Amino acid sequence: MEAYLGIDVGSVTTKLVMLDKNDELVAHIYLPTQGKPIDMVQEGLIQIEQQLPEEANICGVATTGSARYLAGVIVGADLVKNEITSHAVATLQYVPQVQTIIEIGGQDSKIIIVRDGVVTDFGMNSVCAAGTGSFLDHQALRLNMSIEEFARRALDSNTPVRIAGRCTVFAESDMVHKQQMGHRIEDILYGLCQALVRNYLNNVGLGKEIKPPIVFQGGVAFNQGIARALREELGTEIIVLPHHEVMGAIGAALLVHAGMTRSDNGSQFKGFSVSEIKYHTSSFECKSCPNCCEIAQLSINGRVLARWGGRCDIWDESPVS
Amino acid sequence: MRVGMPHLGNLYICIKAMANRLNGDLIVPSLSNQRTLSLGVKYSPEGLCLPFKLMLGNLIEAAELGADTMIMVGGFGICRLGYYTKIQKQILHDLGYDVELVQFGISENKLLGFLQSMKRLTSGEGWPSIISAFRFGLAKLGAVDKIERVVQKVRAVEQVKGAANRLFTQAIQAIDQADDYGTLKRAQRDYIAQLNQVPKDTQVQPLVVGMTGEFYVLLEPFSNLDVENELGKLGVEVRRRTFVSEWVKYSLFLNPLGIDETKKIHKAALPYLKRDVGGDGWETVGEKVLHAKEYDGIVHLAPFTCTPEIVAQNIMPSTKENIPVLTILCDEQLAKAGVLTRLEAFVDLLERKRWVNNKQQRVVV
Repeated sequence: MEAYLGIDVGSVTTKLVMLDKNDELVAHIYLPTQGKPIDMVQEGLIQIEQQLPEEANICGVATTGSARYLAGVIVGADLVKNEITSHAVATLQYVPQVQTIIEIGGQDSKIIIVRDGVVTDFGMNSVCAAGTGSFLDHQALRLNMSIEEFARRALDSNTPVRIAGRCTVFAESDMVHKQQMGHRIEDILYGLCQALVRNYLNNVGLGKEIKPPIVFQGGVAFNQGIARALREELGTEIIVLPHHEVMGAIGAALLVHAGMTRSDNGSQFKGFSVSEIKYHTSSFECKSCPNCCEIAQLSINGRVLARWGGRCDIWDESPVS
Repeated sequence: MRVGMPHLGNLYICIKAMANRLNGDLIVPSLSNQRTLSLGVKYSPEGLCLPFKLMLGNLIEAAELGADTMIMVGGFGICRLGYYTKIQKQILHDLGYDVELVQFGISENKLLGFLQSMKRLTSGEGWPSIISAFRFGLAKLGAVDKIERVVQKVRAVEQVKGAANRLFTQAIQAIDQADDYGTLKRAQRDYIAQLNQVPKDTQVQPLVVGMTGEFYVLLEPFSNLDVENELGKLGVEVRRRTFVSEWVKYSLFLNPLGIDETKKIHKAALPYLKRDVGGDGWETVGEKVLHAKEYDGIVHLAPFTCTPEIVAQNIMPSTKENIPVLTILCDEQLAKAGVLTRLEAFVDLLERKRWVNNKQQRVVV
């Protein structure tokens, strides 16, 4: 069986998917990154291998997400693609008529505008993480409830309170204030969802023409409270796809499938055995100029595989092939 | 008198050449780097823009090296830049540097004011030698900018990435060291020839992206995390109207004669923006309208908190001349990873758009 592997290593979660030659999803894995991208890619490979049929043959591998270059070196990726393109490609596969993609992940949020099947504009949060998954997790933890309970209870709100959503610090103190005033917790939770949606639309969505069909994806799309707030704020239906949390990985796998079909070379995939290799990461300060860039390097047994982090190109060239 | 200066791209080559010819004692601080930025950020009011912070950092570094008189640009009607000289002088004094700031008010004093300021900085040199030094400095600047225009084209299609940059670095050194017009002309000719001989990928038609936005962040690669070079690595040919030599040519020589290249840009902007909004905001809107057909996309660079560019940014989505625009707000928080992700996605978007438009066989992957 021909199989295409897509790996999305984000700041908070690591996602792996396997597509067959008809681009059907055969396996998917969703893991917390926990600040250990290499370990989680290795763990994900072990887990996804167990879900695969015996005769699966990996014909192409692609990586995406903020650790895409690191993950790409580890697995031997045929394609390293940014997460904006990956998300758009995946969504277009399932909802070809989509015009707006709202993606809210662990630490970033994006908006992608699509017209006639082509991305025409996009935006990404730059100065602020307010309204992303990490903040919602933090608030759920503070209220001593799971994020699933948070979402469920937010749906029970009838008279949401207004929470300041401009900044997470103010949102939190405002929430505490409303709690102390005696408001129902459901109304506070949904008020927070509304505040985050307002913040998203005013920052990431600023100046973008948001037209239906609108697809909402990323880890935060699990939260029905946010989906409800989006629906009410935009006054239109919001589509949440079944595998919304792994769309980036699906997009990467779709792209590598298309790319491999065009080229004659086989996949550079290093095999599932890379999950047993001990990788070593280290960093040093470059002294070549006053910028003093911090260069991170990845090595196996003292052999350097790749380096990142310089403002200029002097460390970019891979020291070994 | 030991003269210090802030950096703006390769402008130092021009000023150095003038100082050498006039036997002036010029202190060129190291090119803008992480330390410059840290110093500038530490001693600047937080809400001021990145150009202010970086230039302040340059001046502090020049003062550390012993400069007692600083050259700064300023003048009314531009933007907050108009009062930067006064604030920077105050900050330097508070830090214990008893320095003088000479403001070049180009917008109001034109050529004569510029030359008078230069005369003030030299110890008793006569007008003929000042004018000759000025000409030689401008010739060097012109040579650097001519070569950079070639570099912008070569970067996009060179077979070995980084080849054009290496030649550009050497060219800048050679031009910086040239002592006479003959050597300068030879260096310019040689390096342009070498750049033309760099092995290129002749099969591809590179995407063309126009760089627009605020003057300083367009011209100082450190402030925009070298986005032109990153675009080049992604196979994009970059075009930019703003070059220091062009700006000097127009603002000092041609504008007083009534020749103004920005007139046609302003005219293009008129349906959407009827007046100058300070800085380069009017031009940013105009260039989008003017080049919508010619370019594949536009990268719009603006310092965070820059009012003129924010006005432009908010007007641009509503123009009927439609071309993708990626705005990058530059400040000390700007991170390379975030910029690269946006640039990569933007280039994918442009390739896809071109492919759909032309059905040309050059696809995303």
